Amino acid sequence: MTALTRNELLKMLLKKKMLLILFFLLIFVSLFSYGQQYAYERNLEQFEAETGEELPDWRDLADRRLDDLESRRANESIPENVRTSFDREIQQLTYFIENDINPITPTAFSFNTEFAEQGIVLFIPLLVIILAADLVSGEFSNRTVKILLTRAVPRWKILLSKFLALFMMTTILVFLVAVLSTLVSFLFFGEWGINEPVLTGFTLSEGTLMSDSTILISRWRYTILIYSLVWFVSIVIASITLMVSVLVDSSSSAIGILMAALIGGQFLQFFLADWELVQYFFVTNLDLPRYLTGSFQPVEGMTLTFSILTLAVWAVLSLIIGFVQFSRRDVLV
Amino acid sequence: MYKKIIWPVIVLIASLLALIFLSGFVYSVFITTGDDELPVDEQAVPTDDTTEEPIAGMPEEAIGERSVIDPNPEEWETVLVMGDSLGSGVGDEDGLGFDQRYLELLSQDDSLERELTNISVPGFVSSQLADQLDTGEYDLDIETADLILISIGGNDLNRLYFQDNETMIAEFDETLSAFLSNLESVLTTIRSLNPEAQLALIGLYDPYNLEDQEINRLLLEWNHASRLAASADARLAYIPTYEAFQYHLADYLSDDLFHPNGAGYQTIAESLYQVLN
Amino acid sequence: MKSSVLKVSHLAKKIKKLQIIHDVSFDIREGEILGFLGPNGSGKTTTLRMIVGLSKPTGGDVTICGHSLKTDYVKAMSNVGCIIEGPDLYGYMSGYKNLELLANMSEGVTKQDIDDAVTLVGMEKRIHDKVDVYSMGMKQRVGLAQALIHKPRLLILDEPTNGLDPQGIHEFREIVKKLARETGISVLVSSHLISEVQLMCDRVSIINKGRIIKNASVEELVSTGQVVWTVDQPLKAQTFLKERFALDTVLEHQTLTALVGVDRLPGINRTLVEEGFKITYVDNKKQTLENLFLSLTDNKSIQ
Repeated sequence: MTALTRNELLKMLLKKKMLLILFFLLIFVSLFSYGQQYAYERNLEQFEAETGEELPDWRDLADRRLDDLESRRANESIPENVRTSFDREIQQLTYFIENDINPITPTAFSFNTEFAEQGIVLFIPLLVIILAADLVSGEFSNRTVKILLTRAVPRWKILLSKFLALFMMTTILVFLVAVLSTLVSFLFFGEWGINEPVLTGFTLSEGTLMSDSTILISRWRYTILIYSLVWFVSIVIASITLMVSVLVDSSSSAIGILMAALIGGQFLQFFLADWELVQYFFVTNLDLPRYLTGSFQPVEGMTLTFSILTLAVWAVLSLIIGFVQFSRRDVLV
Repeated sequence: MYKKIIWPVIVLIASLLALIFLSGFVYSVFITTGDDELPVDEQAVPTDDTTEEPIAGMPEEAIGERSVIDPNPEEWETVLVMGDSLGSGVGDEDGLGFDQRYLELLSQDDSLERELTNISVPGFVSSQLADQLDTGEYDLDIETADLILISIGGNDLNRLYFQDNETMIAEFDETLSAFLSNLESVLTTIRSLNPEAQLALIGLYDPYNLEDQEINRLLLEWNHASRLAASADARLAYIPTYEAFQYHLADYLSDDLFHPNGAGYQTIAESLYQVLN
Repeated sequence: MKSSVLKVSHLAKKIKKLQIIHDVSFDIREGEILGFLGPNGSGKTTTLRMIVGLSKPTGGDVTICGHSLKTDYVKAMSNVGCIIEGPDLYGYMSGYKNLELLANMSEGVTKQDIDDAVTLVGMEKRIHDKVDVYSMGMKQRVGLAQALIHKPRLLILDEPTNGLDPQGIHEFREIVKKLARETGISVLVSSHLISEVQLMCDRVSIINKGRIIKNASVEELVSTGQVVWTVDQPLKAQTFLKERFALDTVLEHQTLTALVGVDRLPGINRTLVEEGFKITYVDNKKQTLENLFLSLTDNKSIQ
């Protein structure tokens, strides 16, 4: 099994897909960070132009907010859980004030999570699809599947070795997305922002987002959390792609089918949000980081656990279908 | 080369990363799942505190003094404020809020020492206020209050703003009727504890100054419905704010462009004074 | 008698209600080269695919070195090396990398085994070039090396000379024959070219429309029991043979053809010479596979 996986990994490396993907990534990350830097500066200018005055010192605003929070915190009738959520915001603000960091200044570590949040529904899955789409279908279209399947190795082991190699490459890919987006954006912003505190841990209770259970963690930890979710999503996409790759004969049709599913899924989510079945579609559940940032839910009542379970079911079913089909299929190329 | 170096390195890196990601993943699930240990711990402590604090911190004069409540402001000794962030004065540079500003206005007329209790919680929607009162923790405050100022509904309505037009209109009726029934529940609770106190409900203003006629219409409809609900109780005053804010948004809104600033709160206090005095 | 390396029994394949292969049975003994002959579309490749596990038979079984493909796939397949319909390799790596990769998939294949296979097919000089730049002949050689690295006891070649030039065909044929002679490997080679089968094989199975229509040794198929004479006075000789040996001969362009046991031939020849006939040519008449094939397959054109 080790040897088989080693083979598959070598094939993936020699195909130089990773280079293509990194190239794509580099371009997108650069464009995106440039855009953010540009928008940030434009906003500042615009504000000054419109109000005719200097941007109010962020420290004043933060101080005022801090005073407000503290006076409210002192109110005895405030429930304790609300008070702890005040405490966390106070802590966060204090950090920014003490370290003299304007919270709205873009930093490398806030960029990498933002990139992940933006990319998780389309761009990052696309990279995984490029990586995985030809794993099986490519062997069919090059007809090398014949020399692969006429060895003294059962077919399921061959597919498993492909999956393991893909698993490793996908893991490394997610890591590279994180590293590249951090490094490139640092070149633009010049700030790491590695220890800034971030508020997370929103829970959903009876359809409302609850902020009482939030916790304050540092940026780099938050980045790891976000990328862990990206990683999970990527593995799910990889599994689904592997299935499609088993089912079709050419890598281009595999890529086509998956792109159609991704984009079509977004439309579905947009137009048919009321339709109950939409929430069971994998595309609707890709945006896991939004549960950490506490933003609005696409379909009411969806939770992180729900999305994760739905995605896991998709991945497992895909793998089962893939393995069954790969073992049964007659090779006629 | 590949077999001896690259392959083992890749396997090592990939497994390490997978491990990190997996633990991060589990942690993410953990912190976003409300009924897991972490949040429960935090919530378990506060309920003890909150039940004790108001009782312990309750002023002694509270008990016994609820005989006859005079409609005259001169006799309003105990004032209770409940509701959302407006009630607690969010955005006021001086941290006073409309309640303290109103008391200042009153103190110009007489020299009565007034007791002010504020149980407002920023972010509250009407259902939360109803729940808050249902807990019974504030029964004593309600029973002893001579004047109760209520600011609620802004957050109920504000949620709708984030939706697109179609869904907003569709959900408006639902939200409004939910609000009205919550309001009724709040008023019933108050009246069952204290039939005599003077009540005041602060109306809503439009912080966005939207040009969308449809949305403006909905806000007015909301205020109108609240006003009708208020009219059912003879001692419940409706305090309009819409008109006062409409043409002075820039002057009356704080930096967050949602809550009033000091001047805004002063305006609300003055409206209160005009209506009640 | 040597044991069967490959035993195909009652193999059948049905695709979407269409019976493509009907009850195909044959076997290959150790060290034997079996030709699998049939026109295009007769079911050769389909049968071979089932033998190497690429597609699943709907009936019957394949046994390789005593291991059933159905119940003991891994053991059965460890004895097989094959090229099915062209030598398809990973174009983006070198021939050597291809071999290494495939060697990893079998137990106990050493670097020496790979080098031996490369030497055997004569690819030492170009084996480290990318497969994409290989000629068809070179690919075919690496393809053969690929089939041999794990030292199988059965080599299956599907139309191995397709796309090769005459020089390449000759070289490839010699390699395979040498291999069978030296290592005792059994070979199953399919072809639609009679000459190829004739030149390479010991035995032949002829397949048409999904059925085996003849299993025989090449000698058996080829010898007709007829003798051909070319003589100076064919008419006279015809009468003479009729009178003296009671032989019915057919006269055709100066040649006489008759059904004669080989044992009687020396006597007949001597008598003819003694009677003054000048014999320029005597031969056992060999039936070409073409003729045989045409007669067996309802005269359907095969090329």
